Amino acid sequence: MGEELAIELRGVKKAFDEVVAVQRFDAGIRKGEFFSLLGPSGCGKTTTLRMIAGLEEPSEGEILLEGREVSRVPAHKRNVHTVFQDYALFPHMDARRNVWFPLKMQGVSLAEAGERIRRVLRLVSMEGFERRLPQQLSGGQRQRIALARSLVDSPAALLLDEPLGALDFKLRVAMQKVLKDIQRGVGITFIYVTHDQTEALTMSDRIAVMKGGHVHQIGTPDEIYNTPATAFVASFIGDMNFLRGRLSAREGPTCTVEVEGETIRAGRCPPQVKPDEEVLLSVRTERVQVNPFRATEHTVSGTVRRIVYRGTDFEATCSFGAQEIRSVVNAVNWDPKLRQGEQVAIGFAAADVSLFPRTQESEIIQYSTEAV
Amino acid sequence: MHARLSPPRSFLRGIPITIWLLALVLGPLALTFLMSFYSTDGMLIIRRFTLASYARFFTDPLYFSILVKSMALALVIAVLAILTAYPLAYLVSFRLRRGKQLLFMLSIIPLWVSYLVRIIAWRTILGNKGVLNSFLLAVGVIREPLSFLLYNRFAVAITLTYICIPFVFIPVFTALEKIPRNLQEAAGDLGAGELRTFLNVVLPLSLPGLVTGFIFAFIIALGDYIIPLQLGGTQGIMFGNLIWSQFGFAFNWPLGAALGFILFGISVAILALTSRFGTTEGGFLSE
Amino acid sequence: MSSVSAFARRRGLGLKLYGLAVYLFLYFPLAIVLIFSFSPTKTMVGMQGITLRWYQELFADAGLLAALLHSLLIGLAAVSIAVVLGVAGAFFVTRVHFPGKQAFRTLVLLPYILPGIIMGISLLIFIRNLGIKLSWFTVLLGHVSFTVPVVMFQIIARIVRLGPNYQAAAMDLGANPAQTFWYVTLPMIRTAIVGAALLAFTVSFDEIVISFFLTGSAWMTLPVFIYGMLRFGLSPKVYAISTIILLFSLVLVILMARYTGRTGEVQAVRKRRGDGVD
Repeated sequence: MGEELAIELRGVKKAFDEVVAVQRFDAGIRKGEFFSLLGPSGCGKTTTLRMIAGLEEPSEGEILLEGREVSRVPAHKRNVHTVFQDYALFPHMDARRNVWFPLKMQGVSLAEAGERIRRVLRLVSMEGFERRLPQQLSGGQRQRIALARSLVDSPAALLLDEPLGALDFKLRVAMQKVLKDIQRGVGITFIYVTHDQTEALTMSDRIAVMKGGHVHQIGTPDEIYNTPATAFVASFIGDMNFLRGRLSAREGPTCTVEVEGETIRAGRCPPQVKPDEEVLLSVRTERVQVNPFRATEHTVSGTVRRIVYRGTDFEATCSFGAQEIRSVVNAVNWDPKLRQGEQVAIGFAAADVSLFPRTQESEIIQYSTEAV
Repeated sequence: MHARLSPPRSFLRGIPITIWLLALVLGPLALTFLMSFYSTDGMLIIRRFTLASYARFFTDPLYFSILVKSMALALVIAVLAILTAYPLAYLVSFRLRRGKQLLFMLSIIPLWVSYLVRIIAWRTILGNKGVLNSFLLAVGVIREPLSFLLYNRFAVAITLTYICIPFVFIPVFTALEKIPRNLQEAAGDLGAGELRTFLNVVLPLSLPGLVTGFIFAFIIALGDYIIPLQLGGTQGIMFGNLIWSQFGFAFNWPLGAALGFILFGISVAILALTSRFGTTEGGFLSE
Repeated sequence: MSSVSAFARRRGLGLKLYGLAVYLFLYFPLAIVLIFSFSPTKTMVGMQGITLRWYQELFADAGLLAALLHSLLIGLAAVSIAVVLGVAGAFFVTRVHFPGKQAFRTLVLLPYILPGIIMGISLLIFIRNLGIKLSWFTVLLGHVSFTVPVVMFQIIARIVRLGPNYQAAAMDLGANPAQTFWYVTLPMIRTAIVGAALLAFTVSFDEIVISFFLTGSAWMTLPVFIYGMLRFGLSPKVYAISTIILLFSLVLVILMARYTGRTGEVQAVRKRRGDGVD
């Protein structure tokens, strides 16, 4: 991955009449990077992608492609290509002619393009399918032809709009690996839009997490997962507990919080919260232990409310004062004697506790029956 | 995407159609509207504003009553067309697995197969020496040919209904086809027999198509003048005939324009109902 | 249980019989015309053999053959113009954003859905006001008025069905608007254009009301000519030409069905509806 920027967004904003789809996007995407835009539907990720592609014009801000300002340059003059969600293969052309299309637009004849077409079809493992029409191909095959078509003229970047959305689970996982291998092998910059956090975490070098047009955080998968910048990011990625508490005091980089009568030390504190203000306490469910073997930094007591068996692990929901805390325990480590209604010790480390201002509570992604 | 104004250059492709619209649709209609405010003196048209033609329509009991009778007849025809076409559409849409395309084609072929020929056919069937009479005479059901079959409102009604059936079939069929089949299964699962499912699920959901079909049939029946002329005799005069005759020997173009514009107003008002209660316009012009 | 299914089957049978009756009703008049065109007798009492005499008389009728030619020429000319106007108009309506679009669409549709007599008198008044004499030209104008909506709405339906992504994909891959139109959009609507042209031609060939109002004394289209024939009563020649028209229209309709997505649309709707099998 080079240090030069393939794509740069400076203060990019997009509004449709009164609706602001993208608030303000500042990012520099490096050459050869696998950069994902992650967020729930309507967060503005697709709009951002389309602006980079040139299919939408930003209301404010600039987009630079390989150092060149292209905000007002139409799509067909930009050296980036998009892989659409429904592939958009031209139905009246066979696979070979579909792949040829970008070269044809540059004046390259079918004969001259032959070798490049063959090479890119080999890259996506679709050799031998040259004469097939799109309607004769399966979903996964169509997607690979769409990929080949977008790669054949070696664009500066490839923009992918939830390309794996239409595939079933096993196929999707397989295609994730294929995409990642191709990206690494060719060394091309990928900008990947998805709402699937596992996909983003697995494949990306960096992720931009978005909601409601705002960019909440840009970082590596590790940063996003372990040091989420906002409560939304914390809730959207992985499985997170949220508890309501009150900030007691700050001690350097850490601080203490009052929760259900207990005093908990948190490893990460947002600078803007002052003592006595209400906060949200977050800790990953896999970092919460029930009846731990070894002593943990914090131990509180609670009662087991519900146990759910999930195959690879168990999820235990425990009451903690008036609130609830969930623990996900690997099946290997699960105590089979644990029953509903039992009083248990709940343990976790301060380093695993993050705090967020209480005001961010409304942004948390919750899956409750009321929301539906 | 939210609606917004497109760049000026792309309006260029709208120029041909706009010119066409002005020259062949709006222009003529506007001039007709204008003409309706003139009057005649023998063979000359006096181009001075007057409401004489419209006054004639409202004061002369003949014109108004013919309009009312025409609308009543058109209503009857539309209802008959629906009663005939709806069950047919239901049959083809819901009861068939294979051959649906074929039967759909069979139902609409009469639509595209010469209007005039269909009129000729009905004149043949209904006349004194026509097919129906000859058959009944030959079989011995009657001793003299039935004269009430032709040259009256009955003949007009049956012929126009015949014409209108495909016009009703298409929007109704399209609406029925759009109803998800698992709704029917769900209703059945919840205890509704076929009739109840039809009344509570299918019929309400097909209502827009039904309304559209009804309105198309009504407008066609109201505005037709050739069928009344050919098969209606003196009894079967409809409003269209009145308009037509002003452009013949009567040479009262202003009156014809006024009557035409009244018909136009009624048609447009009723067509406006389709966009509110019916399916999208041009329903049977879409693929 | 068996009584319920028997009832259901009877109900099903009832509807099927009804359907059969309706189809017989729809095609009986057409069959009559066909039969009578081969009948040697002038009256309609029973058939006494088959003859082709009336068809032969048709070919000797110069006026009729001229009218037939006129209808074909007008049809071709009107459809050609309508295709150009209609395709341009279709893209205008689907791709360009402007206020009052729904009203615009309705106005374009008017010549087709309004009773022919309204458009007939309007065009007549309009043409006379401009001082143009009635001739083949005025008939052509009339035909252009109602064929344009036919073509435009069919093309709109196809454009909508294709969706905007193909255009976006083409541009994304480096095609400028002209290239996109020529290499991607046009090939994809080609069958719709052919189907729409066939449909428009069928409508034009059959049209009588507007043609009647706008025709000069001698230059007639076929329907106008046949209408004139009717003034002398129903002669067998009328049946002969009617049968020819029937068959010709039938061929056009079958061709049209092959090109338009009508059956394709039925399939697409069925898939969307969750039929499962298909």
